[in-house]
Formats: sequence, C-alpha cells, structure tokens
Amino acid sequence: MQPLTTDMILVMLMIGIAVFLFIVEWVRVDVVAIIMMVVLPLLHLVSPSEAFIGLSSNAVVSIIAVIIIGAGLDKTGLINSLVSPIVKIAGQSESRIIIGFSVAIAFISSFMQNIGAAALFLPALQRVGKSLKIPLSKLLMPIGFSCILGGTITLVGSSPLILLNDLMAPFKLKPFGMFDVTPLGMLLLASGILCFIFLGRFILPQGGGKEDQEKAADHKLDPIREIGEIYELRTSDDFTDYRDPIHIEDLKRRYLVNIVAVTTPPDSRIFSPVSDTVVRSGIDMLVCGRGKDVQRMAAEEGMRVKDQVEAFKNDMASQAPVTVEAVVAPRSQFEGKTLDRINFQERFRISPMAIYRQGEVYRAEIGNMILRVGDAILIHGPVKRLQALQSEGGLLFTTALDTESLRPEKAILAAFWGAVALSMMMIFNIQLSVSLMTGALGMILTRVLTIDEAYQSVDWRTIFLLAGLIPLGMATEKTGAAAWIAQTVLSMLGPVSPIVLLSIIGLLATAFSLVISNVGATVLLVPLVINMAIAANADPRMAALVVGMATSNSFILPTHQVNALYMGPGHYRSIDFMKAGTLISVVFLVALIGGIYLFYGI
Amino acid sequence: MAIITLSRGSYSKGKEIAEKVAACMNYDCLSREVILEASDRFNIPEIKLEKAIHDAPSILERFTHGKSDYITYYQSALTRRVRKDNVVYHGLAGHIFLGGISHLLKVRIISDLSMRVRNKMETENISEQDARAIILKDDHERRNWTQKLYGVDPWDSSLYDLVIFIDKITVEDAVNIICRVAGFKQFKATRESQQKMDDLALACEIKALLLNEHFDVSVTSDYGNVVISAKATGRQLQKLNERATQLISEVSGINNLEVHSEATQRQTVI
Repeated sequence: MQPLTTDMILVMLMIGIAVFLFIVEWVRVDVVAIIMMVVLPLLHLVSPSEAFIGLSSNAVVSIIAVIIIGAGLDKTGLINSLVSPIVKIAGQSESRIIIGFSVAIAFISSFMQNIGAAALFLPALQRVGKSLKIPLSKLLMPIGFSCILGGTITLVGSSPLILLNDLMAPFKLKPFGMFDVTPLGMLLLASGILCFIFLGRFILPQGGGKEDQEKAADHKLDPIREIGEIYELRTSDDFTDYRDPIHIEDLKRRYLVNIVAVTTPPDSRIFSPVSDTVVRSGIDMLVCGRGKDVQRMAAEEGMRVKDQVEAFKNDMASQAPVTVEAVVAPRSQFEGKTLDRINFQERFRISPMAIYRQGEVYRAEIGNMILRVGDAILIHGPVKRLQALQSEGGLLFTTALDTESLRPEKAILAAFWGAVALSMMMIFNIQLSVSLMTGALGMILTRVLTIDEAYQSVDWRTIFLLAGLIPLGMATEKTGAAAWIAQTVLSMLGPVSPIVLLSIIGLLATAFSLVISNVGATVLLVPLVINMAIAANADPRMAALVVGMATSNSFILPTHQVNALYMGPGHYRSIDFMKAGTLISVVFLVALIGGIYLFYGI
Repeated sequence: MAIITLSRGSYSKGKEIAEKVAACMNYDCLSREVILEASDRFNIPEIKLEKAIHDAPSILERFTHGKSDYITYYQSALTRRVRKDNVVYHGLAGHIFLGGISHLLKVRIISDLSMRVRNKMETENISEQDARAIILKDDHERRNWTQKLYGVDPWDSSLYDLVIFIDKITVEDAVNIICRVAGFKQFKATRESQQKMDDLALACEIKALLLNEHFDVSVTSDYGNVVISAKATGRQLQKLNERATQLISEVSGINNLEVHSEATQRQTVI
C-alpha cells in the first residue's frame, strides 16, 4: 500500500471539513463548495486552472442546459396538457391516478431537474386531488418519490448521474451512454410504484376506519375548515363612540378573524380592505374565521352576527373572493422572508390566513414567520388580486387562475428541440453537453423562452455546488488519497465478493445522501469506490453507477428538495416519511443490486 | 398610571428614593417580594433565585440554561405583580424584564463612588478598602450579568428614561422629579400598553409553568393568542400539546393557543 503523504492528509482533512460543514450547515452547501474551490489551490492540492475546471466541465454545462430545457417545457404549459389524458385514462381509480401521474412525472424528471418537475406537477396534482376527492396525502408522496426515481432513468435525470462520466474520466473508464441506465431506472421506478399500490394503505398517512379517512380527506381538501367559515356582522350605531379607533388589523390580531370585506356609507363595498381601515359605526362586515372567535369578537366589540350573508349576498356570486392554497416554490423570492417584510397584505390587497408547515397549522402571528420552501399559505382574496400575486411568481397555486403567460403554441417547438438534443446524443454520438446546449439554444432562438428567462431559470447554487466539488474529487484522486482510503477499507473488510461490495457501496451512498448533498456524496464517493472495486477485482464502472443511483435513494427524511416541497401541501410529518421512506429505500437497494446483477451480469 | 423601575448601584440611595416615590404616589413598592413570590410559586430555594439574578452565568450555565430557568421564574413572578400597574420596582433588571411596555418609566440612580463607599462603611462598620472592594465587585457582577444575558451595559444611559446623579440633586429632589415625570401622559397606561403588559405576563406565566415540567419552550402572546414554540418532535411534542391544552383552562386570559415545533428539516440543494 502507498505510504500516507502530507498531501493525502490535507485532502482527507478538507473532505472532513466539507462533510462537517455539510452536516452542521454553518454556511450553505454551495458556499462549502466554493470554499473548496478556493482553498484547494491555496494548499497546492490542485493547480489554479484545475480548481476552476468544474465551471467549464461537461457536467456543469449539461446541467445548465437541462435547466433551460426544463424552463422551456414549463413555459409551454406542457404539464397542463398531460393532465387531462391521464385523468381520462385513469378514471376515478386512485391507484390508476397514482400510476398515471407517477409515470408521467418520472418521464419528465428523467429529462429535467427533479425539483423542477415536482414544482410543475404540484398545482395540477392539487386540482386533481380536489376534483376527484383523493386526499393529497395519498397522492403527493408516491408521486414525489416517483419524481426522484425518475431521475435515475436517464443520464441527465439527476445531478449525480450527470456528474458520473466526468468523475470516471481520470480512470479512463468507458463513459455511460444516455440510456445505459434506463433499464435499471425503470426497474427502480416500477418497484417504487408497486410498493405504494400494494402497501400504500399501510405506509401512507391516513386514519384507521373509512369514516376517519373521509374525515381526513375532507379536512385536507377543504382549507376553509381550518380557518373557519364566512360570517356577516354589523357594527352597532354607537360603535365608534367613547373608544379609540379600531382598525381592521386590530380585529385580526385580537380575534384571529380575517375581514374579507366592509361596506362604506352610503353604498359601496370594499373587498380586502387595507389593514389601517377604521371600522365605522353601523356598517356590515364580511369576515372569515372560526365560530367561537367570531362570537367572541361580536360580544367584546359590540357587533351583531347575522344569521346569513345579506349585504354581500350578490357580491359573493359576482366578485367571488376565493380561498386558495399557495405553496412557496423552490428558489422563490419569498423564501427566507416574512409576510410582514414582503408587505404581503398591503402590496397585493389579499389576506394570508394560515400557514401549513410540516403537518402543523399556524394561525397566530403568521406575519413574523420566516417562509420556507414547501410552506403552504392559505390566502383569501378576490381572483384579480390573486392573479396579480401569481404573476409575480414564486408561489405555486392550487386553483387555476389562468394568468400564467404560457405559450402553448410553442409546445411543438419545445418537443422538437428536445428531440434534436436526444438524437444528437443517441444517433450522432455527440457529447452530452453539446447536444443539450443545442436543444436549449434552439428553444431560445425559436422563442420558446427568452434568453433572459433562460438566465433567470439557472440555479446558481446548483452550478457552484457542482463546480466547486469537482476539484475536491480531483484532488482526492490526484494525491492518491482515494486509493489509500480504498485500500485501508478493503484490508479492514477482508476479501469480499463483488456483489457484497456493491451492496456496501449502495448502503454507504444512501447514508451519505441522507446527511450531505447528493452531489457532495457522489463527488466524494466515486473516486473512492472505483479504487475499491479495482482492488477487489469488481467492475469499477458498476461501483460508480451504484453511487450515482443510490445517491437518489433519499426517502427516509424529508431532506430531498422534492420531499420538502411536497411536505407542506401533503400535510406530512417527518414520521410519515420515515415510515414510507424506509420501505422504499430498502426496496430501492434490493432492486438496484438485483438489477445490476440481472442487466449487467455482476 | 405608570410602572416605575428603579435601577441602582448598591448604596446609591436608590432604595430610599424608591420607597419615597411609592409613598408619594401611593404606589406599591417591590423588590425582594418578587423573589419570595417566585420561590413560593415554583418551589425554588430563594438563594438559587437570588444568585441567578445577581451573578453572571458561568460558561457551563450558558450551555445548560441553568440560570435562565430561574430568571424565567423570576420574570413570571415580577410580571404577575406589576401587571396591575401603580408599582415602583427597585430590584434587578426591571427595565430589561419589562422591556417594550410603553407606560414603563425607567429610572437609573447613580452616585459618586466615594459617597457609596462612605455609606457602606457606616452601615456595615468596615474599612474603606473593604467597602470599596465589595462595591466594585458588586458593580462588576451586575454589569457582567446584564452583558452576558442580554448583551447590554447597565451603565448605558440610553436604556433609561431618566438618569439621576445623586450629589447636588438630593434624595428629595430626585423623588420630586420622578413623581413629576411619572405623571406625564406618555407614562400613563393605555388600552394597548396594558394589553401588552397582560400579554407579557401571560407569556411569562405559561413559559414558567411549562419549564417547571421540563419543557424547553419559547412563548409569545398577542391579545391572548398564545404561540408556544418548542424544539421538540414526536412523543415529546405530543406531551407538550396535551399539557398546553390543559393550560387553556388553568390559566386565565388565553384566547387561542398554538403549539409549534421549531425542529426544522434541512434541505439539500439538488
């Protein structure tokens, strides 16, 4: 075995620091990658040009192109056109709906980023769940998991697989083709879907009896139940006498009821009044809240609760203020900010009423909550104002408000450029990055999306995470640290058969992807496992493939972005992911190793 | 009317001023009573409470919440006593514990070190050197306590509405000034400021009750709408939920109560 050198120790130290920072998250994971990119050349572990080679790597350029192609598909509203055929074929059957959408999302996510596909499907799934009365908790988890599994169907489906060929290049191993992983990915997807179809009732969250299930379904389908019902009240004629002015905001804070509309003399009506509107004497108010809160407000403030809506009866039909659920999207401009800081209510003249987060409903002091991706905000307001909010982007709406500037007429062009990219890869054997960038450029030139939209769609966090970690993988290999660790681990394990070694690698990659980013896990593990496989006389390509696939085996904790996004709208708790995710993870590993044995003859 | 907090160094005649202000305005005068109430209510030895609100936390205590637990009990007892208004409080850190209440008049009494040393020597019949050492140590301890727990320096005059240097201004002058300022309209309780005081007292009480049953929580209240946040999950969170539900009937003034878990799930970038 090679003796341990100072450079090896330094690389291992850097790996230790990176893993530590990934776990504690003192800085964001992409910043950790940039730290590596800068520190490695300073320590002379890689040359300055090698440190930044990741930015021009095949993998990074491919990912940029995949993101742009995904944004192009989004702009054409292709997903909306997929929904009706699926619902038509599946009918009312819950299982067929799950299968239909799982296959569709897996197909889409095999050509674009998983999180992008998940965000595209979310509004459609919420609408389908509502119209077919299927609780979202039964739909979102299987379909979200299928979205992640879909990332294993092609070589561009997930970042670890895109990276794989680049990481294998220093070992002069034969690169994988675009569809080399497809049989394996299909097997993983099928086993995942079948688990939910046959065992869904045991692993998905739901009540015990049928009645409970219906209740749970109703509860989740009808957000109004959580925040109360609509009441009309009238203030007394001496309401403003002998007291300080009472504003709309005061009533909301004190009684947790939302003032939907007020009348102003002589005969006008204001919907979603601004928070500093003074409540006058002898006016009618339309409020939304829980019965006991509304009654308490009426008693303490001297108001009369009417038996039914009277003054706003006609407006209810024509102006129709609606309650919608809007989910904070990945990379939303609202992420990390509070509703108060955004000036949400005043800016859009709509009322945020509650926030769902990790299975909990927040009603009080929601203005001060820092929003996270996946938070579902219940918003009440007139359709026009909700449309204005939707056009700002950053939120995924349950209700179709028909405002998105979609370009359905470009769908054919988008599909054409997708096909061009594919045929360049498959027929002409042109490099992945060049083929995909051609497709992306084609979409821009044919105005499926503008160049600015293309730039805005690129997630720079992803780019720098990939680009920054590539030199770390390079340094691990170059200094001989990977070979040294591999030899040490193998000497500790003793002689192992290739299938056992691949199983251990699968377990290791799964464990790593649960605590650190899947890209980080891939970059750190691929050089290591290739060395281990070579030393143990196993196929190094298969060892790398196991890492590339198993880093998508991220179901047990809601740490994967897709799971985090679906957690709020599905009203899942962490325990729900542990229950279903553990089974899917075990099945994933068994199917992965079994598939490699079957398809590649290991 | 107002709540007056009097912050003072030892032997600065602050106690005398507080008692005279309370007599002049017909207010209650509080200091040690708060410790006795907290000790009684939460069954904590007085000595532990006294140490917690006087001595700065050690490094270990900063990690184990040792002192902050006792401070929670103390703050709960204090807010319970002063919520009814018309009170002069001359114990420790009143301006911090009651921060944010607009009808709070925060007064700081300071005096010349040599005068304080003289007072100490006369009262306790000790040498000048000993008296000076004790006073300086006490000042240092109090400064440390406020800085370590709240990040502010008690000698920073911007923390107070009124800072009075007892030298040319006599005790009687100081009493007159404080009584006059306390009558200003900005120190009179309004519906909103009283509500804020009630909310603070309610939040402190709930936090102390839950802490007494080993729940580590943070509590806020706005118009009686209480939000309890805990870094708990699973069974522990369920237990907290059950206990919180009982509190609705045990503690008056709760209009709505929500329990939330602060345990966050990390998300991977890709």
